[in-house]
Amino acid sequence: MSFAFLLPEIILTAAALTLLLLESFRPVRRGLALGISALALLAGILSVAGVSSASGDPTFHGMISVGPEARFLMVLLMLGVLAVLALSLHFNGFQESDFSWGTFSGLLLLSTAGLLLLTCAADLLLVLIALETVSVTSFILVGFLRKDRRASEAAIKYFLVGAFSTGLLIYGISIVYGLAGTTNLQRLLRPDPAWPALPLAGALFFILVGFGFKLALVPFHMWAPDVYEGAPTPITAFLSIAPKAAGFGVMLHALPNHGALRLTPFLAVLSALTMSVGNLAALRQQNLKRLLAYSSIAQMGYVLMGFVAGGTTGFRSVLIYLAAYLFMNLGAFACVIAVGADAKTETLDGFKGLAGRSLPLALATTVFMLSLTGIPPFVGFIGKFSLFGAVLQSPGLVWLAVAAAVNSVVSFAYYFSLVRAMFFSPPDRSARMEMSPALAGCLGLAALGTVLAGVFPETLLQLVQRAFP
Amino acid sequence: MSLSLIVFLPLLGAFVMLLLPNERKGLIRGLAVFFAAAALAVSLYAYTAHNGGTAEMQLVERHSWIPTFGIHYYLGVDGLSMPLILLTTVLSLISLIASFGIETRVKEYFFWFLMLETGMLGVFVALDLFLFYVFWELTLVPMYFLIGVWGGPKKEYAAVKFFLYTLSGSVFMLLGILALYFAGNPRTFDMLQLAQQSSTFIGPRFIWVFLALYVGFAVKIPAFPFHTWLPLAHVEAPTAVSVILAGVLLKMGTYGILRVSYAILPEATRWFMPILILIAFVNIVYGAYCAMNQRDIKRMVAYSSVNHMGYCLLGMAALTGSNASAGMTGAVLQMVNHGIITGSLFLLVGVLYDQAHTRNIDDFGGLGAKLPVFTAFMTIQAMASLGLPGLAGFISEFLCFLGAFGQKDYLLWVSLSVIGIVVTAAFFLKLIKDVFLGPFNRRWEGLRDMSARELLTTAPLVALTILIGVYPAFLIQMMDATLANLIRHVTGG
Repeated sequence: MSFAFLLPEIILTAAALTLLLLESFRPVRRGLALGISALALLAGILSVAGVSSASGDPTFHGMISVGPEARFLMVLLMLGVLAVLALSLHFNGFQESDFSWGTFSGLLLLSTAGLLLLTCAADLLLVLIALETVSVTSFILVGFLRKDRRASEAAIKYFLVGAFSTGLLIYGISIVYGLAGTTNLQRLLRPDPAWPALPLAGALFFILVGFGFKLALVPFHMWAPDVYEGAPTPITAFLSIAPKAAGFGVMLHALPNHGALRLTPFLAVLSALTMSVGNLAALRQQNLKRLLAYSSIAQMGYVLMGFVAGGTTGFRSVLIYLAAYLFMNLGAFACVIAVGADAKTETLDGFKGLAGRSLPLALATTVFMLSLTGIPPFVGFIGKFSLFGAVLQSPGLVWLAVAAAVNSVVSFAYYFSLVRAMFFSPPDRSARMEMSPALAGCLGLAALGTVLAGVFPETLLQLVQRAFP
Repeated sequence: MSLSLIVFLPLLGAFVMLLLPNERKGLIRGLAVFFAAAALAVSLYAYTAHNGGTAEMQLVERHSWIPTFGIHYYLGVDGLSMPLILLTTVLSLISLIASFGIETRVKEYFFWFLMLETGMLGVFVALDLFLFYVFWELTLVPMYFLIGVWGGPKKEYAAVKFFLYTLSGSVFMLLGILALYFAGNPRTFDMLQLAQQSSTFIGPRFIWVFLALYVGFAVKIPAFPFHTWLPLAHVEAPTAVSVILAGVLLKMGTYGILRVSYAILPEATRWFMPILILIAFVNIVYGAYCAMNQRDIKRMVAYSSVNHMGYCLLGMAALTGSNASAGMTGAVLQMVNHGIITGSLFLLVGVLYDQAHTRNIDDFGGLGAKLPVFTAFMTIQAMASLGLPGLAGFISEFLCFLGAFGQKDYLLWVSLSVIGIVVTAAFFLKLIKDVFLGPFNRRWEGLRDMSARELLTTAPLVALTILIGVYPAFLIQMMDATLANLIRHVTGG
């Protein structure tokens, strides 16, 4: 039992509690709160790198297993949250004088700690506890702007769906426990053929549906657009990235043998549905947060494709795509926040004529949109390329690859509605764009990552290879 | 190194351009021309270094790029790609000079234009399928902007339609490329290695792979029934962009078929030949009739491209016949000739439109006496396009038909395709009659003949048209060995 494995969670929780405690005495200033959080995240990343020699063997009585793939996702998650901090710094909605930065960043860190625990949980009970840590903190974060009615509505919706899906999950887990007498994933991975089929199917059904809700897979996605629209944009960015990465982390631990459980066709259909419905619904959106919400639903459909393909190649492609998605999606949100701060709107209109006002920002947005569409030489293409490759290896799944290909074309239409607005429409104002340095830096880094990892993907691929040997 | 220089000099220029202030239009134009000229100069050097007597890949550059996937940065030229590289560098330089009239958002325009040039050149030199696909897609975005921002009244619709068509094709091409990768043993994206393994790519599965690749290529050519984006895009695009679109971009499709489909999937290629002949027939005849029906000169030239690419396909379809060599030579020569001839026709239409602000044939009449130089150029190029002996178009069209008549089982379709030549002659002659002959329309009293810059852009192309018409050997020698090798490879003979 080595606490080194839990170091990142411990650091983040300690920082979170410190911030919450400080806040109870007097308001913590923005710089201090974000500074402590950023330092904690950096320390967390370093500590993950520090235990790099650890194997994936379960520890803490089989409760956690910090394998290389979990560490990969943990670093990814913390990088994402760092970016979310940068996005929050100058976000309009957070600038009121009574905004409690200490509570905000404390909750964000706690949520992150939950997510980290989720990626290395090796027991269904711990999965549940971690999931609840994430959920409860996320409910509050979504509704953090109490005076904003939409945010409150979103929080309530998120809470109701979250509670409901947790219920389903617990129900599924209880059946599993009844069948197997254990909730340990290691032991559950080798299902006993003597287990009766119906309860097993029921358990798998409830667990999958529960995760379907958490990951917003179609047809369990209805809550996502409303919540994404209502939440403060940095939190939307957080929700569109972090829980998904962690969710796939759990799936990789819990269901790598979906073929043996005869779940593959079911998951394949889920994947095709998710990408198709997400993309088709995104076509009609004017509000950019809703558009990105549907886009992220569709993107998870693509990732699920890699999970469906399974095997080393398939799971690697999941990690590759999640890393790609982190860069390009955060970049896209950074653009929306930058434009939203300037135009005071979250609709497409804000992007009108942006090319004339700030060519670098317009080009950066174009890069993210191209990458999300899956056009080379950007990292999204590398991700899609490896997903397609993984799927095409199994002859029975060629239809899924074709579906994803058609979906990429459909997604072009809405991703490029932004590009059209930026380059083809005349600007409605002539003033130059103003952007805070933190936001510009975050945007620049995301753009740089999207381009560099697209043109020279070898480093990323090597990292993934080491994460999934 | 020379190939990398050719490909990336324009891209370097594009990024240098971004650093310049918007207001320095002269400097921006000058730099764009400088980088395109540098690429042309290096491509001329490559031409002298290239030995047409062998089918070997030359000036090869091969570096490991993404070892995890076995992807290489792999460039090379042979007799098939060399003429197209020259065509691209020449037409790009000329189009950039022809773009000096662009006054809005000059910096962005030249940025996208140079990036487009890099994409096109990359397609013609890439020998790794992954790299090929990256360059292929790299042409997509700049073209989208060039049409969508600087185009005519329906520019946005045209740009979106162009993008949607091409992207739909290319995602299937990507699936086809991946399928080839997994079929290889050992797995590789190396086109030459895959071509060596081509005898193992047999069976219905590879028919599907061939079709997936074909959709991607056919959209670009554009082969019937994927051609409907073309007239719109050509008409809406600014003059110089139409030149590149017709002159180079369409050739990427036929080049891709020859380089990838023919070489790597010979069995499926042979299976496809009868269908290709039919498609060529439809392209030729349907394209010609559509062109005949247009009153807008630019639309007419655009549809004539559908018709001319049909000749090219017909020549390519001669592969399994008895005159394969003539057909294939004709097809590649037709790619170059169509680029030169149609490119110059678009430039000339642009000259007229810039002054008259109309392209409707019925608005003109009797311009011959008023604009002698313009009339001469336009007439020469129209004649070349309709296949008058002594000019470039005749040689390649003749060879295409000569080759196709070697397909003894499909003589009916080849014979019917000849109708296309007659119709082409009819509409070009009518165009000349309606615009340049007859009574002079007083409305055009103020028209001037061609300016120095317009002469500078069109005269070289007219000269090339005549040169190739009289002495095509310098091009044919360049590609002979490569094509003979390709024919041997595909037919196994």
